[in-house]
Amino acid sequence: MSITLSYPLMLAAALFGIGLYGALSQRNAIRILMGIELMLNAVNINLVAFAYYLEGAAAAGQVFALFIMTVSAAEVALALAIILLLAKREKHIDIEQVNLLRW
Amino acid sequence: MDFDPTRVAFIVVSAIAVVSAFRVVTAAKIMHAALWLGLTFLMLAGVFLLMGAEFLAAAQVLIYVGAITTIILFGIMLSEAAEVRGRGAAPLPVRRDDASLFRRIVLPALAVLAFVGVMVVVYSQVSWPDAPAGLGGDTVRMIGRALFTDFIIPFELAAVLLLIALIGAIVIAVRDNGRREQG
Repeated sequence: MSITLSYPLMLAAALFGIGLYGALSQRNAIRILMGIELMLNAVNINLVAFAYYLEGAAAAGQVFALFIMTVSAAEVALALAIILLLAKREKHIDIEQVNLLRW
Repeated sequence: MDFDPTRVAFIVVSAIAVVSAFRVVTAAKIMHAALWLGLTFLMLAGVFLLMGAEFLAAAQVLIYVGAITTIILFGIMLSEAAEVRGRGAAPLPVRRDDASLFRRIVLPALAVLAFVGVMVVVYSQVSWPDAPAGLGGDTVRMIGRALFTDFIIPFELAAVLLLIALIGAIVIAVRDNGRREQG
């Protein structure tokens, strides 16, 4: 076996960095959501890699990755419902101009 | 370096994943960004396969590629706001004053550099095992057994969470329809 544990860890760090940049730098709510999805996937890579390489972690790592998939599916459904509602009400989804909950 | 199919496959798949993830962030049209996101998810399913997680690879294709990418594409197509559809060249223009540039490009880049730097330093300090410990055969059986013994309470909570998300999405949609009929 020639890929060591550092390969998937570096891949996950790169994907998490890209997702973090996307989530922080964009103003479009759907693009922010995509960045968050990338970050969640990077975490899943880490969990699966640790499950594969570390002793006795196989079941826990894969089960936790499965739970993260569940949570992110629920999160995307609710976030898109809110974003579509916002787009219908405000005619934009620029989060810098959304202050419905501020005052 | 000797030719090793697993290593070559991993490098190819992760290179495609990183490039398409980069395109998710930088694509001008949001529709293209969503499609690149689907390609990223598909490549990560390949990574899961190489890591011996067949069930998670199948779940990744079903949930992420099949459901989440599709739901994002539907969300984009069902919306009438021009910014969501991304008809123009760039989705939202970057204002060219210094404060906006600083907040939208410099600060996120600094945060990303700091985070990835810390991660790489931490990863390089630890001595990781070189060879995989091995999953011990049938991973689907292993996941099923773990889900219904050690992780039974999180499993049930995940079911409740999905139900709540379903009800919440319906409530949000229905409330909006009622308001529009009144107005």
